[in-house]
Amino acid sequence: MSDAVQFLTVAFLVAIVLTGIHAYLGIHVLSRNVVFVDLALAQISALGATVAFMLGHLPQSAAAYGYALAFTLAGAVLLSLSRHWSGRITQEAVIGVIYVVSAAAAFLLIDKAPQGAEHVKQLLVGSILTATIDDLIRLAALYAVIAAFHWLFRKRFLLLTLDPARAQAQGLNVSGWDFLFYASFGVVVTSSVAIAGVLLVFSFLIIPAAIGMIYSDRIARKLYIGWAAGVLASAAGLGASYAWDLPTGATMVCAFGVMLALAGLARPLVTARGEERRRAMRRARHLLINGILISSALSGAWLALNPRADQPLLDALEAVQPAIRDYFLSPIERDIYASAANVESKIRGESSRIGQLERESRWQGSELTDDEVRRLASYVQSFQEMQKGEQFVQREIRNRARERQRWAIGVPLLLISLGLLLVTLK
Amino acid sequence: MTSIQLLLSLLGLALCCGAAASDRIRVVATTSDLRSLVEEVGKEQVEAINLAPPTRDVEAYEPRPQDAQKLRDAKLVVRIGLDYDLWFNRLLVDASPDLRRGGRGYVDASIGVPLLEIRAVSFDATPGHSHGAGNPHYWLDPANAEVITGGIMEGLIRVDPDRARTYESNRNAFLARLKPKIEEWRRKLERYAGAPVIACHNSWPYLARRFRLNIIDSIEPKPGIAPSPSHLAGLIRKMQEQRVAIIIKQPFEPGQTPKMLAERAGARVVSLAPSVGSVPGIDDYLALIEYDVSLLATAFEARRGGKP
Repeated sequence: MSDAVQFLTVAFLVAIVLTGIHAYLGIHVLSRNVVFVDLALAQISALGATVAFMLGHLPQSAAAYGYALAFTLAGAVLLSLSRHWSGRITQEAVIGVIYVVSAAAAFLLIDKAPQGAEHVKQLLVGSILTATIDDLIRLAALYAVIAAFHWLFRKRFLLLTLDPARAQAQGLNVSGWDFLFYASFGVVVTSSVAIAGVLLVFSFLIIPAAIGMIYSDRIARKLYIGWAAGVLASAAGLGASYAWDLPTGATMVCAFGVMLALAGLARPLVTARGEERRRAMRRARHLLINGILISSALSGAWLALNPRADQPLLDALEAVQPAIRDYFLSPIERDIYASAANVESKIRGESSRIGQLERESRWQGSELTDDEVRRLASYVQSFQEMQKGEQFVQREIRNRARERQRWAIGVPLLLISLGLLLVTLK
Repeated sequence: MTSIQLLLSLLGLALCCGAAASDRIRVVATTSDLRSLVEEVGKEQVEAINLAPPTRDVEAYEPRPQDAQKLRDAKLVVRIGLDYDLWFNRLLVDASPDLRRGGRGYVDASIGVPLLEIRAVSFDATPGHSHGAGNPHYWLDPANAEVITGGIMEGLIRVDPDRARTYESNRNAFLARLKPKIEEWRRKLERYAGAPVIACHNSWPYLARRFRLNIIDSIEPKPGIAPSPSHLAGLIRKMQEQRVAIIIKQPFEPGQTPKMLAERAGARVVSLAPSVGSVPGIDDYLALIEYDVSLLATAFEARRGGKP
């Protein structure tokens, strides 16, 4: 427990640091319409580290960092120039090409590496749970320096992002400042990705900034909202991953996604006032009711057309309330169903007991001979076949119930839902 | 004039080389371990290669265009089976019927091995009744080399019956070297029987069975899916309660999580070799097991010495 609290705390602090800088950079990225720039820069920096590795430098050595940085800066040059090339093609296309080519090139290089290429792979699959306090301090210090740099020149960076035409008219060196932007951005993304992985860093960059931009036009307010949303989503993701025993990175990404969906759905209710707000509420209610009616009409039609196929709605209802299925079965069929389920769970228990026995015999008591191991394996296999048999029986009985439900539930459900839909759509 | 002479001599060279090469049975194995065992049985009568490089995850190998070319010249293929080298199926589709499942030149080395952790579901669509799959890392039990080399010997005899006696005596010579070695290795580790160990992935059940290791849990129960915080916390607790001394990993598996666990629970990470050639200097099958056994013995010994 205390261990979990400790590394969850470090992970949460790392998440706060990441939210802090990425929400800000995300606003730039979204306004510039270069959403995948972080993937491109992280990948090109990994390519640099791969080249260093192939030249015989140890991963995490100063030389490896040097190569990664040099490649990142080269990537920044390409990106800052791409603004001028993008007459006929969008900048996003150039970014995509940089991403796939550097990923493929790194792949080809690693293919020729003798040993230890897994260190390079780790540059892109960081895991926020294994971050240490040292990582946290290093990250916070580096990002503080970059944040200070952006704060100092905030007017120029913002003007360049929000109104590049005016920036040019004012005589600002667009390519030079673009380069500084992408270079600092590349340094941030590269160190974040090594700690938290590509998927999670992308979420930190885009989602809090997007939520901020949904709710406000003012840069400061966008930032505050984005920060709050990012911290909240991180806490929810970490908590869910602990409570439900789930992989942390993936859970956090989904928590960010849910946060964006909720923020988007709630927007009309939060920003609208008076009559407008009432209208929004009414629209939401309509949408919800029609959604339910359409899905129940589709379920009814599907049940009537093909009762033996998967029926997601009925499966869910029967899992909660088995009586819905039992009502359509004769007493004998109900008995068969129950005993098949019972036997199946007994067999499952038996085969896991055998597995346990074998596992323990590896290191304690007398050793099992090869023939004993073969015999246990064939027991387990027969048990698994029997289990499949019992599952088949249950499915068959369920299908009989479904064929009766076809007329008793499927057709009426379809007709009633269609009727109600006609009423609500009027 | 000279150019024609040169051409003729080149032609002669090619012919004589061709003769020498065709004299040896070409064998394609999916892994380096099987290649090494094929060499033990075939000795100089065979020319064996492996397709997947041993330094990376064999299960994730993507066949190269040249692999199909290599199969074209092969008389015998030897695979691990049990869904471990599923990618090999794609190559076999275009190979000669002799090399496909059921053909003369096809050896699934898992046949006859006492399998652990059987499951009925296999992704390999075999015609007829599915025989399921077990944990595929069976070559890491040196006693299984007897069954594996048996299958290889039968395969070689099917494609090259004239030299049956040679293959039999080669295999017997190998087993005569192997058996005393197994006893020696077991003696080396018997003091540590039952000592608790954590593994990165469930890749070592056969090694554990032969050398009586107690692998209490894996860091990633499902390979490629990062462990949850509660699983990690549980691991740390177990490691402290049972005084786990070592965490074993394969060289290509990511090291961050094992390192963190080792630091928190006072254990050390031991990078064992899963295959011939996965660490420089391990050139054949016996050297592979020798390496892993002595690494384990050293790690356990260091822990014992470290304790007051």
